[in-house]
Amino acid sequence: MPSKKHLHIESSGQLCIYCGACVGICPLNCIYLDETRITFDEKVCTRCEVCVKACPVGAIEIG
Amino acid sequence: MTADLTTDVLVVGAGPAGSMTAKWAAKHGAKVLMIEKRQEIGSPVRCGEGMSKAWLSDVGITPGRWINLEVEGARIYSPSEKVFEINEKHAGNEVGYVVERDEFDKQLAIDAANAGVDVVLKTAATSVLKENGRVVGVKAKRFGEPFEIRATVTIAADGFESQVGRWAGISTNIAMRDMDTCLQYRMTNVDCDVRYCDFFLGKVAPGGYVWVFPKGEGLANVGIGVQVSQVKAMADARNYLDRWIEHHPGYAKGKKIDMVGGGVSISAPLKQTVGDGIMLVGDAARMIDPLTGGGIANGCIAGKICGEVAAEAVHAGTPTKEFFQKYEVGWRAVLEEKLYRNWLAKEKLVQLSDETFDKVIDALQGVRLEKLSVHNILKAVNEKYPEVTKEFEAFL
Ligand SMILES: Cc1cc2nc3c(=O)[nH]c(=O)nc-3n(C[C@H](O)[C@H](O)[C@H](O)COP(=O)(O)OP(=O)(O)OC[C@H]3O[C@@H](n4cnc5c(N)ncnc54)[C@H](O)[C@@H]3O)c2cc1C
Ligand code: SF4
Ligand code: SF4
Repeated sequence: MPSKKHLHIESSGQLCIYCGACVGICPLNCIYLDETRITFDEKVCTRCEVCVKACPVGAIEIG
Repeated sequence: MTADLTTDVLVVGAGPAGSMTAKWAAKHGAKVLMIEKRQEIGSPVRCGEGMSKAWLSDVGITPGRWINLEVEGARIYSPSEKVFEINEKHAGNEVGYVVERDEFDKQLAIDAANAGVDVVLKTAATSVLKENGRVVGVKAKRFGEPFEIRATVTIAADGFESQVGRWAGISTNIAMRDMDTCLQYRMTNVDCDVRYCDFFLGKVAPGGYVWVFPKGEGLANVGIGVQVSQVKAMADARNYLDRWIEHHPGYAKGKKIDMVGGGVSISAPLKQTVGDGIMLVGDAARMIDPLTGGGIANGCIAGKICGEVAAEAVHAGTPTKEFFQKYEVGWRAVLEEKLYRNWLAKEKLVQLSDETFDKVIDALQGVRLEKLSVHNILKAVNEKYPEVTKEFEAFL
């Protein structure tokens, strides 16, 4: 199986503003936001990149 | 260890929709618990803070210190910055207040608490509990400790993130063209007019708009919504907003004192907002007006109906999908037609070129509309630029 691309959410606060935009649009509902902690389920995520576009500040990168 | 809890009605999320639902369920005699994952209700403020006012008394909200200021109208700017003014006389209930959203949310939570609702902060739902296909509560974490809350009726009022409903198996997924990605600065020392909420349309904000809502004394919420399907590069929302500010000297000289973001659904109404043991309300049910992006009023209006039906289901012992049709039918009777029409209008508007936007606003110069509606606007445009309205025939 080809390995998935790397998805990184810059969630230390340098970029992420904890707005939840990515959470609400993720078609697999696999991102979770806890006030100032954001996590996503590596196994469920399909790297569809929707969250990358939905993030208003560019805190999510796939590569 | 946090002890497990049991209640009649569990409301997840203490935004306006959640607090309204909780309050009205309690007023109708149900035992209600409302959980909120934040440590402070209403904060941080993720909102432009503009709202209409005519609906407030219908749902039992009284004016309070959450009112920041009252505006006289709204101004819509075309790409070449021709202005169409909508004032209170013909917009009636569409214009109204700029609010202190944190105060507003807190006031609604206080009203709920005073009606008997138990409110628990720093408590997040992490999944739903199901028995024989029926939702019977949630798994939650309080101060990081897992525990369970069992409820006869569970209300998903968790806002744009809209996860509780999806955990329960109700699809609230939206397409990229049905969402705006938003960013807003609160700015001080800007030249805004406290009499108006301003909206700037066209390529300055593809598929959305730039808004300036005045807060008084040179303070304003300056924000943007961009349709996700029109995003080309990372951080487009921020880039577009920064560019807009740069090109407007009255704002470029201002200073940013905070920054918030978020998602706004601009979708058609969901097919289904109830399931066995569960009802969805507010942003969680994608009830935002797809044309204006406003969601506070719709969430509160649906919340009242939702709370009443929740209490009824508790008393009757029938928290079923069938029983909840009363809510499904109830909120749709009040909101659905407008949501649907405005979604159709949005689908068209997002395709318009800057030239067409200019023509539309130009055609409205000096026109006095009796009542503000998509229909009336198109009639006015039709007189001057019939070719523009061709695309909108369905609305004429
Ligand atoms: C940038 C921006 C500007 C906006 N401007 C306007 C405007 O000017 N006028 C207007 O009318 N509307 C505006 N809106 C839309 C408006 O903010 C929403 O429609 C409104 O907040 C909806 O209320 P709600 O109660 O449904 O959800 P919310 O207000 O989002 O409340 C949901 C609550 O649930 C909590 N929650 C979420 N998940 C969980 C969980 N798992 N467990 C426990 N709690 C949880 C959240 O912390 C939150 O407090 C704007 C939106 C954005 C993003
Ligand atoms: S890439 Fe797609 S599936 Fe993965 S977290 Fe982002 S939106 Fe969800
Ligand atoms: S959309 Fe971007 S800024 Fe918002 S929570 Fe997700 S990663 Fe953070």
